[in-house]
Amino acid sequence: MIRVYSSPLATMAAQTTTPEKAAAPGALTTFLAALGGGFLSAAHTAGGMTILLVKILARLARLRLDGRELWKNLYKMAVKSLPIVVVTALFTGAIMVIQAATIVKRYGAEGLLGWGAGFGTLREIAPLLTALMISGRVGANNTAELGTMVVTEQLDALRVLAIDPIGFLIAPRFVAIVSTLFMMTLFADALALFGAAYTGQALLGVSPTTFFNGLTAGLLDFGDVANGLFKSFVFGLVMALASCHFGLATTGGAPGVGRAVNSTVVTSAAGIFVLDYLVSFAIGG
Amino acid sequence: MITIQSVSKAFRPSGGGPPNQVLEGVSLHVPASCLYGLIGPGASGKSVLLKMIVGLMKPDSGSITVDGVDVTQASELDLQKMRLKFGMLFQNNALFDHMTVGDNIAFPLRRLTDLGEDQIKDRVMERLAHVALTGFEGRLPAGLSGGQKKRVGVARATITRAPIVLYDEPAAGLDPVTSQKIFELLREEQRASGATVVMVSSDLDRLLTVTDRVGMMYRGRLIFDGTTHEAQTSEEPRVRQFVHGLTEGPL
Repeated sequence: MIRVYSSPLATMAAQTTTPEKAAAPGALTTFLAALGGGFLSAAHTAGGMTILLVKILARLARLRLDGRELWKNLYKMAVKSLPIVVVTALFTGAIMVIQAATIVKRYGAEGLLGWGAGFGTLREIAPLLTALMISGRVGANNTAELGTMVVTEQLDALRVLAIDPIGFLIAPRFVAIVSTLFMMTLFADALALFGAAYTGQALLGVSPTTFFNGLTAGLLDFGDVANGLFKSFVFGLVMALASCHFGLATTGGAPGVGRAVNSTVVTSAAGIFVLDYLVSFAIGG
Repeated sequence: MITIQSVSKAFRPSGGGPPNQVLEGVSLHVPASCLYGLIGPGASGKSVLLKMIVGLMKPDSGSITVDGVDVTQASELDLQKMRLKFGMLFQNNALFDHMTVGDNIAFPLRRLTDLGEDQIKDRVMERLAHVALTGFEGRLPAGLSGGQKKRVGVARATITRAPIVLYDEPAAGLDPVTSQKIFELLREEQRASGATVVMVSSDLDRLLTVTDRVGMMYRGRLIFDGTTHEAQTSEEPRVRQFVHGLTEGPL
């Protein structure tokens, strides 16, 4: 989940494993040093992301973000992600119906197919899978772009031109990623239900009308949609912060860019699952 | 104009180990309207010093004053204001990959001035003609050779007619003819604008034909600071060996 930074404790751990010093500290010391090193690196990452968030919010509060960059990134991140979201959402809806098919057939519960597919899709599956897809496509790409700009001194060039890289580059990307995930989740919700309805008709003979009646009969309401959308907003925050943070922290040329992308993908995915649990727990599913 | 006093800087390796002292007690003064050449073997701290002058890096100790402002103590906002006085060419050019050549050169004018698009276009064309790249305005940096990228970098660094210009290896990767043209162009512009210029270059034969003063860095220390003529006639063994390209000597 967390990129490993060097720390005094980690260095101590490395030193304790060298042959000439192996006799002195025991396995427990090594374990504790490694644990401490891991904790420090996690704190370093969390701290870095928090500082970056504060800087971004300061620019947003003063409307110091570049409008052209925002539109450009919205197009690149949202519009160009549509094909992958369409495929993911349609097949997600279809899979939900296939999973429910056995029970629906056994109990003749065709009227509940809409609710069964909609409940899981709107509250959980659509936001989660859309976030993972967008993380792989947009988050990784964003880190690679920023990381390359850092190692080729393009960010330094912006600073020398008296242009604030946070306002010009980072804040528009942050807003674009959070907005993209929110919009794509809304879009995925609709498409997944569409896919589920027509898969229900093809596999189970349940008409789309029956499907949508089950969806709107009172068992589901706007709160279920809002639940999923709130999750997508939280996922967007962690994904945007992780991708920008690791991109800006890139060092070491092309291999460094690779490491930064890897850190973004791992941190975003782990963060999405952890936050999904916490948000589900906090707002009741 | 630029005064550097007792500047030191060490980088600590991320994996531990002893710090790498890249600058140690460097002091020098670059007068206004001077074309100052900074020379020295690789990894002697020249590029780090340039980045410190413009506030991209902070020294561990010492001070750097540019036009009366202590860069080492300035806030990020003050640095932004101060950087309006700067133009800079980076060692690796630092061209914006996603912009065309024309947009790269026009970028500082679009962001920092109120000039209209027609005026900006005229200035960009004039810069491109100066660096012999007329007709390249629609190309992306990825499609250019190393020398062409360098020339685009020079055009971008000089388009705002900034009073202080820093060049990090302006002729690296260029053929001798283009290299000589670039040095002459930079000298011509410096004379016309009266800008203060600090130039790092390994092409000593050409650099020393245009500089007013020269400083030589060696292992993080400034071991020589004087006029170009003094550098060429210096008896200091390291300066002599480096300036004359001798294979025998202390370097």
